[in-house]
Amino acid sequence: MEIAYFLGCIMNNRYPGIEKATRILFEKLGIGLNDMDGASCCPAPGVFGSFDRKTWLSIAARNLTIAEEMNSDLMTECNGCFGSLFEANLELKEEESLKNEINEVLSEVGKEYKGSINVRHFAEVLYNAVGFDKLDEILTTPLNLDVAVHYGCHFLKPTEVIGLDNAERPTILDELVEATGARSVPYKDKMMCCGAGGGLRARDKDVAISMTKEKLDNMVDAGVDAIVEICPFCHMQFDVGQTEVNQKYGTNYSLPVFHLAQLYGLAMGLNKEDLTLDANEISADPALAKLVAELDANISE
Amino acid sequence: MSLLKSLKAFFGSSDKDVIKNKPVEEKAPINNRKVDTNSKNKNFSTDKITEEKKKAKEKVSKAKEEIKEKTSKAKEKVSETTEEIKEKVSKSTENSEVNPSEKKEKKGDNMTLLEENLVIRPDSVNHEFTQLFVDAGIDTVEHCFQCGTCSGGCPSGRRTPYKIRQIVRKCLLGLKDEVISDPALWMCTTCYTCQERCPRSVKIVEIIKLARNEAAKAGFMAPAHRATGSFVIKTGHAVPINDATKILRKKVGLSELPPTTHSNPKALEDIRTIVEATGFDKLIGYNMETNELTE
Repeated sequence: MEIAYFLGCIMNNRYPGIEKATRILFEKLGIGLNDMDGASCCPAPGVFGSFDRKTWLSIAARNLTIAEEMNSDLMTECNGCFGSLFEANLELKEEESLKNEINEVLSEVGKEYKGSINVRHFAEVLYNAVGFDKLDEILTTPLNLDVAVHYGCHFLKPTEVIGLDNAERPTILDELVEATGARSVPYKDKMMCCGAGGGLRARDKDVAISMTKEKLDNMVDAGVDAIVEICPFCHMQFDVGQTEVNQKYGTNYSLPVFHLAQLYGLAMGLNKEDLTLDANEISADPALAKLVAELDANISE
Repeated sequence: MSLLKSLKAFFGSSDKDVIKNKPVEEKAPINNRKVDTNSKNKNFSTDKITEEKKKAKEKVSKAKEEIKEKTSKAKEKVSETTEEIKEKVSKSTENSEVNPSEKKEKKGDNMTLLEENLVIRPDSVNHEFTQLFVDAGIDTVEHCFQCGTCSGGCPSGRRTPYKIRQIVRKCLLGLKDEVISDPALWMCTTCYTCQERCPRSVKIVEIIKLARNEAAKAGFMAPAHRATGSFVIKTGHAVPINDATKILRKKVGLSELPPTTHSNPKALEDIRTIVEATGFDKLIGYNMETNELTE
């Protein structure tokens, strides 16, 4: 299996450990991750989707043509990119007149959208194309962690077009997390947004982090060791946003944040440096210490 | 105008408004309609009174039960409490000067856009605005029956004056100016909770995005959003790389620059050609020659 690997912005330009872990994971899985030379921002749905639909569609379509030229489905590890590219791909496939309109723009850069590939999310590829038997072979270090699973908004919704799982009570990500031995702990308003999306973080950070605080309150109440998500923008909001919450509300939250790829990195025995956990503002050490303590206990047994 | 005020200005309703807003023939533009803020405060304190009365009643009935069981000392205490409550209630009633029957009516008024005393004049209705949604395939805007499920689940609505049900209604009514000038329009995180739960399958997030497109065209754009747009024109990324990440990438054996527009000048040129072709540079006020936002 070959996949066109769409990077996006925040993962590769802020948290490269997510990219690193993914490259190692897919090598072990025997799936070819091929770089999409010259890909750009998806573009950011909050600003481009909100400001000008045609520009949003044109830049998204340009990215899609790169994967089309590679003859393989596109995979992203960001809910925002997934939302943007999945939606753009669907609309362009379904509406001939729209496709023609966008192709007119693309003709200026010598490209043509055909509608020959699918847009997939990292977590969906792991769940549907890889499967748990294969994952069990690779995730060899059991992780004794209680985690708050955060789905984010654009992985599953709108269900009408994505149709992966129930939006109110999904299990996909919980199952993927529990494949590492970690436990997904239920918490209040689990499906609530992190607060970053739709351009809100850029426009009104106070409102955005008030949502993040509500999520953090609920996660901490549930007594978890860490947050696991599948979106670098949510990742940033829980990481940088957590510091902002502490500053604004005088809280002292210190919940480590892992992208699923980083959690899998730990379960593959990768070290903290490879996963660039130091790039996080919130230290991952408390969660790592718990893992090391257990490892030591196992060894002494 | 603050968010709250602009919403109040639109939905502000009071007995005084009924008198002020004479029939449609008078043609006072809707925006000039004065809002009696005092009467708004009344509404607020009315709610408070209801709360307090309810609490007081609970307290009294609880106290009554205790009377039956306990000593005369307790009786004294209860009557004391009752006195206190009575005093409190009468005090707050005095302050608000609203009688209970009025209060019930008002509460109803605040729940709907179709209140009797709200006057929507023909010159504030823009039918082309409504048609935009229909033409864009979001004809479900016409299916909304104002149940409020959307607002009930909205995380932004819990903390800001963002009222998604009202926005959908305004879009259907063609109140373009109301919709696009309202800063609350930008409080949506596009989380889709409303759309998922809508019993009429209204494409609510699509409505918001299209309304925002119209707002942007009219110049309602936050500086931070224009900046994000400018980063994409400059670098191809909304969040471009920085020195710290370059070092990290190298350290873990990744290419210092990702294989994106960051390491492909021709690709970046493509992005710039596209935004010029769609006019996005002009929309956000970006000068392609100086490579900066104007103003």
